[in-house]
Amino acid sequence: MTTTTPALGVGAPSGASTPAVPLAARTRGLRKVYGRTVAVDQVDLDVPEGAVLGMLGPNGSGKTTTIRMLLGLVRPTEGEVELLGHAMPDQAAHALPDVGALVEGPGFHPFLSGRDNLRRMAAAEPRLSTASTADAVGAALERVGLVNAADRRYRGYSLGMKQRLGLAAALLVPRRMVVLDEPTNGLDPAGTREIRDVVAELHASGVTVLVSSHLLSEVEATCTHVAVLHTGNVVAQGELSELLDSGSPALLVFTPDGHAAMEALREKRIPSRLTPDGVRADLTASTAPAVLEALVLAGVPVYEAARARTGLEDLFARLTQPDPAGTDSEEST
Amino acid sequence: MTAVTALPEAMPARERVGLPRLVRAELRWVFRRPRTLVVLGLLAAIPVVLGIGLTLVDMPTGGGGGGDGEGGPGADLLVAAAGNALVLPIAALMLTIGLMLPLTSAMAAADALAGEAAHGTLRGWLLAPVSRGRLLAVKSLGVAAVALASVVLMSFTGIITGLAINGWGSLFTLSGTTLSFGGALVKIAIAAGWVALQLCAIGAIALAISAGTEHPMLVVASVLAGTVVFSLLGLLDSLSWLHPFLLTESWQSISDVLRDPVPSAGLVDGVVRALCYIAIGLSLAYARLTTKDG
Repeated sequence: MTTTTPALGVGAPSGASTPAVPLAARTRGLRKVYGRTVAVDQVDLDVPEGAVLGMLGPNGSGKTTTIRMLLGLVRPTEGEVELLGHAMPDQAAHALPDVGALVEGPGFHPFLSGRDNLRRMAAAEPRLSTASTADAVGAALERVGLVNAADRRYRGYSLGMKQRLGLAAALLVPRRMVVLDEPTNGLDPAGTREIRDVVAELHASGVTVLVSSHLLSEVEATCTHVAVLHTGNVVAQGELSELLDSGSPALLVFTPDGHAAMEALREKRIPSRLTPDGVRADLTASTAPAVLEALVLAGVPVYEAARARTGLEDLFARLTQPDPAGTDSEEST
Repeated sequence: MTAVTALPEAMPARERVGLPRLVRAELRWVFRRPRTLVVLGLLAAIPVVLGIGLTLVDMPTGGGGGGDGEGGPGADLLVAAAGNALVLPIAALMLTIGLMLPLTSAMAAADALAGEAAHGTLRGWLLAPVSRGRLLAVKSLGVAAVALASVVLMSFTGIITGLAINGWGSLFTLSGTTLSFGGALVKIAIAAGWVALQLCAIGAIALAISAGTEHPMLVVASVLAGTVVFSLLGLLDSLSWLHPFLLTESWQSISDVLRDPVPSAGLVDGVVRALCYIAIGLSLAYARLTTKDG
């Protein structure tokens, strides 16, 4: 498990193959070792500008460590990191003012109110003038729906409110890039949806977003790009749609007469199999119009046809399942 | 896309926040922390309790408590403090510099780095970004502010208590000379500033420990142990070669301020020692902080 080539045969847009897409962040040969534990190894991550990249991986796959190196909080053991065109961590002062981040959960002082906590954060933001601090704090609180609780002590906040405050800190200033590490931890469904909305808003205004999560549905709903980490390696990355299409291509045909459909397809030498609602036609050697033409000409009623998509869950399971051969022995935190 | 990426450029393209703004934010945080306020309140009460206690004991105060400079400095001071508005604040400082005041410094330093790291709040400033060197500068000033505040508060309540108990006519030095009120204030200010410097030295060492851990209690415990061990080492005559290196060694010299003229040798030694400890402590803290994972 030391190769970083996408395990799938997709043309994952890496910086090398598609130089036309400018990258907001990229890592090359990134490696971090804590004592004898390899947390991250040979990570080549590309975050295209303007993308919403979902970083997926089971617990302990190196997501947070990678993010911490990306933000210059941790110095990599080996490899290089570039954030908004600046080498990290040495040029953090140039890159970080334009980057908002929520890493490893929200960190605030329990005896201060949410507002005062944010003001303390805002005081350190280079992009905020002293005069505009109060307004920026108010706007950020409003954006995450915390106005009513803003003047209560952080001590009394629920997990979801703490998470929102963390998000507010990341959004204090208009950013070029926002990094959210497990942003929906502890949020109720409504809160999760709000985070999605915020991410969508950021995406719409051209902000690059990097979201790490182990919640697949969340990633599927919000992301344009995906990087899958497993035991410290990137096992796949690229556009979400491409990754999902990358299984063997197939067409799902909805028809009441599945047997007739299979018969018609067999005549055209198109492999297919029965599904509860119709048939699943293999497109490896054929095309969707050809399948439909065969069915219609054979008089098979077709209600609906759709390209079969590998669910993210299937993809994820395939990529991160322990190798049956047992070669995957490297443990990481 | 271009419109959005241009947005940050349209704003003031500053990459650093001025140090005064960071220090202001830090001080606002330090002096709103309930722990700081409780400790400062307790320290401020010590001279009051001391003054009332000594008056109730009703020691023989012969001639305003002056002219008895030969005995042990501690007991000597207490006797003098009972009837002397000048001596009371300095006696209070002397009583607390052994343990209480160093612990206050240690607590401030422990919260400054280890406590913030434990809360995950240090990361917020590092990501803003605040460079690690500036972070240490801000934190050092915060610790120094707590040290100064505790000493100034104690001096203030000491003076008030002393004046309330003994009136204006009781400003004698230990050498027996009488001082004007202004002269007495100058002496108290010198003593307070000197103690604050010693506390900064403790704070610098505590910051070095604080930079290396996420457990504030460890910092306080280390400083407590260090202070006790240093005091013990200072008592052992066989270790006299070591004594010049002990910060605690000069702490007895504070009563020198109360003499007239002031014997400055011990006080100056104390200043030099404190400055050395500050230099060492801050260097270690900087070395640790710049290599630390955020």
